[in-house]
Amino acid sequence: MKRQLSKLGSVRLALIGMVLLAGGAALSYGNPKSTPIWVLVVPLAFLALNLLAAIATNPRINRRPGLLVFHLGLLGVILLVGFGRLTHMDAHLEIVQGSAFDPNAIHDVKKGPMHYGDLKDVKFVQGNYTVDYAAGMVRGLTHDHVLVPDGHGGLDEKDIGDDRPLTINGYRFYTTFNKGFSPILTWMPDNGKPITGTVNMPAYPLFSFKQENTWTPPNGKQIKFWLRLETGLNPNKAWVLDGRNATGKLVVNTGGKRVELNPGEQVRLDGGVLRYEDLTTWMGFKIFYDPTLKPLFITAIISVLGMGAHFKQKFDAMSKHINAPAGDTNEVGGYAKLPPGRVV
Amino acid sequence: MSTSYIILPEVPWLWAGLGAYAVATYTAIRGVRMTASAAGAAVNRNYEQVVMLMLFSGVALLGTALGVRWERLGHGPFVNLFELLMSQLFSLGLVYSIAYWRFPVIRSSAVVGLSLIWILGLWVLLLRPADSVLPPTYYNKWLWVHVGVGKIFLSMCLIGTGMAGVILLRGRPRFAHLFRHMPSDAVLDNIAWRFMLLAFVFHSLMLIAGAVWAQDAWGRYWAWDALETSSFLTWLALGMSLHARMTYRIPIRVGAIAIVVVFVLAFMTYFGAPFYSQAAHKGVV
Repeated sequence: MKRQLSKLGSVRLALIGMVLLAGGAALSYGNPKSTPIWVLVVPLAFLALNLLAAIATNPRINRRPGLLVFHLGLLGVILLVGFGRLTHMDAHLEIVQGSAFDPNAIHDVKKGPMHYGDLKDVKFVQGNYTVDYAAGMVRGLTHDHVLVPDGHGGLDEKDIGDDRPLTINGYRFYTTFNKGFSPILTWMPDNGKPITGTVNMPAYPLFSFKQENTWTPPNGKQIKFWLRLETGLNPNKAWVLDGRNATGKLVVNTGGKRVELNPGEQVRLDGGVLRYEDLTTWMGFKIFYDPTLKPLFITAIISVLGMGAHFKQKFDAMSKHINAPAGDTNEVGGYAKLPPGRVV
Repeated sequence: MSTSYIILPEVPWLWAGLGAYAVATYTAIRGVRMTASAAGAAVNRNYEQVVMLMLFSGVALLGTALGVRWERLGHGPFVNLFELLMSQLFSLGLVYSIAYWRFPVIRSSAVVGLSLIWILGLWVLLLRPADSVLPPTYYNKWLWVHVGVGKIFLSMCLIGTGMAGVILLRGRPRFAHLFRHMPSDAVLDNIAWRFMLLAFVFHSLMLIAGAVWAQDAWGRYWAWDALETSSFLTWLALGMSLHARMTYRIPIRVGAIAIVVVFVLAFMTYFGAPFYSQAAHKGVV
């Protein structure tokens, strides 16, 4: 049994595993959809077994504390990455200014089969945001203001954006380049209760030339909207995207009828009255959840520290050897003396 | 060459720095040739002082070039290829200078090491020093850690490759006599791999710091983008080389070739990614 375990933990198999992993990594470049995850999972599982066997049987590893820590750490990293993929969640969200987060509004959801987080406990309200742009429409810093419960019945305002995600219950909400404007509309049907909502226009300023969208009222005809925005955008100058400084005229097209509305104005259409209440903004978020992030970081750092400690010990031993009385050392061209053995 | 290239304030400092590196490289080559033709006891190593002086001068001048550009643009040299090359010329030169000063045994390998640095030197001269804007995700503090340990990694690789280059050059009759005053191949091999071990530690730290930065910046710690894939392959190649050397006692020349291969992979990671990926890191723009 021990001999078989020793074979399983051999360096030869480790090298084969690493070659397979290199192949899997090369195939995974750019995350092509045609490449199955198994090209990475199989070599990693193989290497995990190899590592486990090597740690158990190879005295060159398990009798050297630094190397032992390094290899245990590597094994830990593989296991944590695997657990992370099983429990992770990725999703996207568009949320309108002034709205509370709704778990049902997330889309493009990808999650592992063991994902156990609960978005129902995540609560925040989207506020106003600003985005700096340099001349040439180069995006700068995003400052998104969100309101989160302070735990005492009130709300705290937080400034998030770019590399400063909002983190609640392990879920990380990252602002994205995907953000824009939304007209707030009220539909007052001839028969029935009025409904108020928003129509998110395409991302701004990425699609500043194409601020169009459609909406079909209940039991009504499709309405085409075109938003004519005034935001102060000048591609040749530095500029700040700020919904508070923007105005928008809404062009409504339906059934051959074309009407331009300012905020507060309304128009009678087939089946009801459409009122353009106001202009607001929406922000696109990327949501990420992985419970292994901190353990993964700590394990990886401990692993490298173990390797560093091992090399330091080795180098110190060499230095002692160099400073030892002549006899066991190699003269090296008048520069220094080095031991005859190998460093590694 | 356009007028705009010449009038940018950092460019004269860059040229001056490269000039100092050129003198250092020329002096190193000339010194090695002179040493090779001298009798053993009469070896004159005064040229090494000139090389060291020129290296440190070049580092100071390139540091000034970086500082002037930083002051002018308001951000560090992290964005376009011109900045990356200038920054690497500075950091590689700095670490190499310190190693040259502290470890006399590597000095003759400067013929190889400084020549490799000059690939970047020639390259940067061919580029327009276009201005850049720092992407919002580059304000993250982990970028500094990632870049810092990455620079040490590449510098360790460069020194190891210098030694490996000497081993390989010595195997060719045309160059054999040039390095005859240097230690035996076995000793050079030992020293080269010592630097590669350090390179492995710093490469591992670079991957960790990069993953933390990527998590903050783009909401994922790993996505197999151009740089991530390439740097992971480099790490694997170095790991495989270390395991093979430890276990199979591979011949010294094969080990030297392995070091050169790792350096080439690292070089491609740093400077090749912009050619096969529009944005080296996803989300950069």
